[in-house]
Amino acid sequence: MNIKSSKNISKIIIYIILLVVLIITVYPVIWMILGSLKSTSEFYINIWGIPSEPQWENYANAWNMAGIGQKYINSVFVLLLFLVITIPVNNCAAYVLARLDFKGKKAIYTYLLTGLMIPGAVLAIPIFTVVLRLGLVNSLWGLVLVYAAQAISFGTFILRAFYISLPKSLEEAAKIDGCGQFGSFVRVIMPLTIPGITTQIIFNGLTVWNEYFIASLVIRTPEKQTLPIGLSMFINQYGVNYPDMFAALVCVTLPMIIIYLLGQKTFIKGLSAGAVKG
Amino acid sequence: MKIKMSDKAFPYLMCLPAIILFTVVILASFIQGIWTSFFSWDGMGDMKWLGVKNYYFAITDSIFWNSIKNTVFYAFFVTVMKNIIGLGLALLLAKDIAGRSLFRVATYMPVTFSYVVVGLLWSWIYNPTFGLLNAFLNGIGANWAIRGWLSDPGIALYSVMMVDVWKWIGFHIVLYLAAIQGIPKDLYEAAEIDGANKRRCFWHITLPQLNSALVINVLLSLTGAFTSNYDVVKVMTNGGPFRSTEVALTYITSTAFKFSAFGKANAMTVILFFFVFIFGFLQVRMMTKDENYG
Repeated sequence: MNIKSSKNISKIIIYIILLVVLIITVYPVIWMILGSLKSTSEFYINIWGIPSEPQWENYANAWNMAGIGQKYINSVFVLLLFLVITIPVNNCAAYVLARLDFKGKKAIYTYLLTGLMIPGAVLAIPIFTVVLRLGLVNSLWGLVLVYAAQAISFGTFILRAFYISLPKSLEEAAKIDGCGQFGSFVRVIMPLTIPGITTQIIFNGLTVWNEYFIASLVIRTPEKQTLPIGLSMFINQYGVNYPDMFAALVCVTLPMIIIYLLGQKTFIKGLSAGAVKG
Repeated sequence: MKIKMSDKAFPYLMCLPAIILFTVVILASFIQGIWTSFFSWDGMGDMKWLGVKNYYFAITDSIFWNSIKNTVFYAFFVTVMKNIIGLGLALLLAKDIAGRSLFRVATYMPVTFSYVVVGLLWSWIYNPTFGLLNAFLNGIGANWAIRGWLSDPGIALYSVMMVDVWKWIGFHIVLYLAAIQGIPKDLYEAAEIDGANKRRCFWHITLPQLNSALVINVLLSLTGAFTSNYDVVKVMTNGGPFRSTEVALTYITSTAFKFSAFGKANAMTVILFFFVFIFGFLQVRMMTKDENYG
């Protein structure tokens, strides 16, 4: 009896702790949405609560003043171009490094992996210098080139683990069906590593979507800004109302939140893959 | 006619794009960084040979050392907090808890946000006039605790660090939870038969079994925090007040772009690189430890 009630108490304490953590995580996001719908005067008085009359025009203001539409186009362009380059490049390398025997394989793999030891941001200034020398400052293509290069080490590492886990007999079966080496890779083996590719898209895609440091160095004009830089620039402008700033923040985060909630299993799995290896 | 790729060349051709891209950007920038650190250079015009003078300037620059100190402190503080809170919550969640997946989904959400978004949101939460935090403290009658979270040099760095912790807690919970759930149940059953109590079970079964999860979580947060500090600090305080939140990367960046001293900036990059490299190296060793090169 006594043991049972002390068990109940400890359970209640656990739930209270979890509830507090839940509020600390979720409430700021809700607060951001509430704040975006308040009028400027209500904003300072009614800090906690629901806006008395939702000011939808805050969104129109923010969208136009911050040029969020253009920034979305830039971010989507960078993301898509990045994926179009990074997926084939990493898959080709990972496949042969996982499944074929050739001279210098270990050296190539080790070389490509060294990037894992150098977090991209540490080299930001030298990377900027390289972009400058290549004549790609203020070019979204230059930005994508950097992102694609930074994604090689991790991408090859993760995908290689997927390719290794496939049964050995696959290439032989493909050969019997008359496929060449490249054909058997593209038609038979690559389709089996879709989970690995998804992991890569989520992990690297999110990193690129959210990247701020290098983008802020490479991109120099407002019409080429991606969302993170555009947002930080807009907020630092003089004389912008806070509710409009909140609205701009919601414009940038809400789509992300919706996509995350729809695909949360894939997201959590994909993002954790770096640590637990595939 | 079908062109047949030579079998011998095939693997090399497949690796070639990756090797070229990696070399042109990553290796080139690495060499570039070291090379330009020996010159006086404004990033545009001619370079003038300086030898190791830039390193001398960097080493004797007290602001730089202070920023390195802040960086290292940031990395360690954030790592300790993320792992203690992450592991603690994962242990609670591993019990028979209703709403576990809701909790997981909610706490993981900030992981998907960019540091810019998280930093802006929290700089408003910390805002002295309309911020949520001071309003909350006022609401519960804890007026003594109200402060300028980002304007007081004594606590600004802590305020910034807690934002990083907030963003990543969900990530560490998921990793620790997976590791806890992977511990074989019969270990506990055997211990129970031997008469071990809960506390002993934790110290002698749970913790040792979580060893590799601990190591990887700690290394991930360390290497992450060494670089992520730029985004958070830049967005929230820009190194202020009075350089109390200045980290190596913000100082390096302003040395390069504000003071047009790329040579010195790159000398500082090289110094920072060695700090980070040690942990990055350990992390890669850990991740590839049971991998066979075949």
